[in-house]
Amino acid sequence: MKKRYSLTYLIGESFKSLWRNGVMSLASVTVLMSCLIVIGGFVLIIFNINANVKNLGLMNEMVAFVDYKLTDEEIESIKTQINELDDVVEVIHVTKDEALEGLKENAGEFGDAYAELEGDENPLPDTFHVKYDDPSQASTIKYQLDHIEGIYKVNNRMQVAKTIDSIKNSISLVGIWFLGILLLVSIFVIVNTIKLAVFARRSEIEIMRYIGASGWFITLPFIFEGIIIGLLSSGVAYLIVWLIYRYIETNGMSGIDMITILPFSEINTVVLAGFVIIGVLTGIIGSCASLRKYLKA
Amino acid sequence: MIDFKNVKKVYSNGVVALGGVDFHVDDGEFVFIVGHSGAGKSTLMKLLLREEIVTSGQVFVNNHDLTKMRNYKVPRYRRELGVVFQDFRLLPNKTVYENVAFAMRAVGTPAKKIRKRVPAILSTVNLYDKFDCFPSELSGGEKQRVALARALANNPKIIIADEPTGNIDPHMSMEIMNLLMKINRLDKTVIVVTHDQKLVDYFQKRVITLSDGKVVDDHVGGMFE
Repeated sequence: MKKRYSLTYLIGESFKSLWRNGVMSLASVTVLMSCLIVIGGFVLIIFNINANVKNLGLMNEMVAFVDYKLTDEEIESIKTQINELDDVVEVIHVTKDEALEGLKENAGEFGDAYAELEGDENPLPDTFHVKYDDPSQASTIKYQLDHIEGIYKVNNRMQVAKTIDSIKNSISLVGIWFLGILLLVSIFVIVNTIKLAVFARRSEIEIMRYIGASGWFITLPFIFEGIIIGLLSSGVAYLIVWLIYRYIETNGMSGIDMITILPFSEINTVVLAGFVIIGVLTGIIGSCASLRKYLKA
Repeated sequence: MIDFKNVKKVYSNGVVALGGVDFHVDDGEFVFIVGHSGAGKSTLMKLLLREEIVTSGQVFVNNHDLTKMRNYKVPRYRRELGVVFQDFRLLPNKTVYENVAFAMRAVGTPAKKIRKRVPAILSTVNLYDKFDCFPSELSGGEKQRVALARALANNPKIIIADEPTGNIDPHMSMEIMNLLMKINRLDKTVIVVTHDQKLVDYFQKRVITLSDGKVVDDHVGGMFE
């Protein structure tokens, strides 16, 4: 016999119960929401570090500085030599004039201060930006670059990239711990909310059991209650994260040119999906944990 | 059909509630189960409802072996029973109609069928005119009739009434008992647990007497000491 339980009835029961347990429901939503906001914060920080590492070209790139007073032919020959190295993908030649232009641009309205350095007064060297594809070969490439005649210095940004990477890892580690602890707290609060809801309806549940209602009919409203708590929390958390992020995007970091902030539109789907999945799962786990004995028979 | 075969029930605290009970109830029978408090009546009820499992022996109800029944099959089994309690156990925030409809909804009856059947059952227990009342607006007898209607809602084969007249004045008790008789004539097995001697004597039905966890008497006719 196919059973057709009225879904609207079951979900209606969940909303009624949430409303009746107002304070506990609010507590559940608040705690789960805080948890999600913290998770979201950590994830967004890590996303942005990744984006910045990429933007700054810290990965897989070295800069070779060329001796002053080299002739154009000598510089050209250095470029050919670098190009012939294994693993090198691209060599970009930045002349000293271009480098000065770059400085002027970065200085904005004070750019004119560099004007007197133009031409023969330019103290900047020509540079080669060397891109390579295999990070593990970085030290070999650096060694080879160091031994090309006419190159006086090689800046290996691997070290910076590595430092940033380890910072990122520690942030992730802290984030995971926060996540774990806060999720446990959330589940604990949800378990208590649902237990209160079960207690408020214990006579109803008893009658349902004697009548022969299936375990699912009895427990589904409570599981829906957990899901609703999860959905509400993720919705509000998303809104708050969005507002904070937008504030930082427009006001917070605009003064620092070095750092680019990912536009929220690029990451909102990931954040929202993550929030909803974690929120709903936590809600379901919380409900089921408090309903084990009713799911049996 | 109900069959108890040498049923023993010992609770985990060592209390022997039933010490070897044997009896058989045929389909369509009307049986009183009587005995002083502590005689084992409640345990017998719990075994019938498969709330508890026997320590040894066997319980068969409608060809189900309750001793071997898996937990997930219990809800479906309970739909073959209609239960009435001394304290009615109605949902206070639902009307008479909703209380009965609730029992049908809980087992997945389609809404259309519920709308059709609830008025019919309420008529059977002579409560049709009170369908819109809340339990608090009803007398004890009326509440018990709602409980009876609810027990009948899913058309069970067996009705089990645990002290159905315990909280009701004598006049109303007769009415409830007459209703149970009427239900019995509808070809349902009726088990009434009670210690109301007058009722038992009046109706002259089969009486099973329990004492200290054993069946001490089982005969048709009134009289119990």
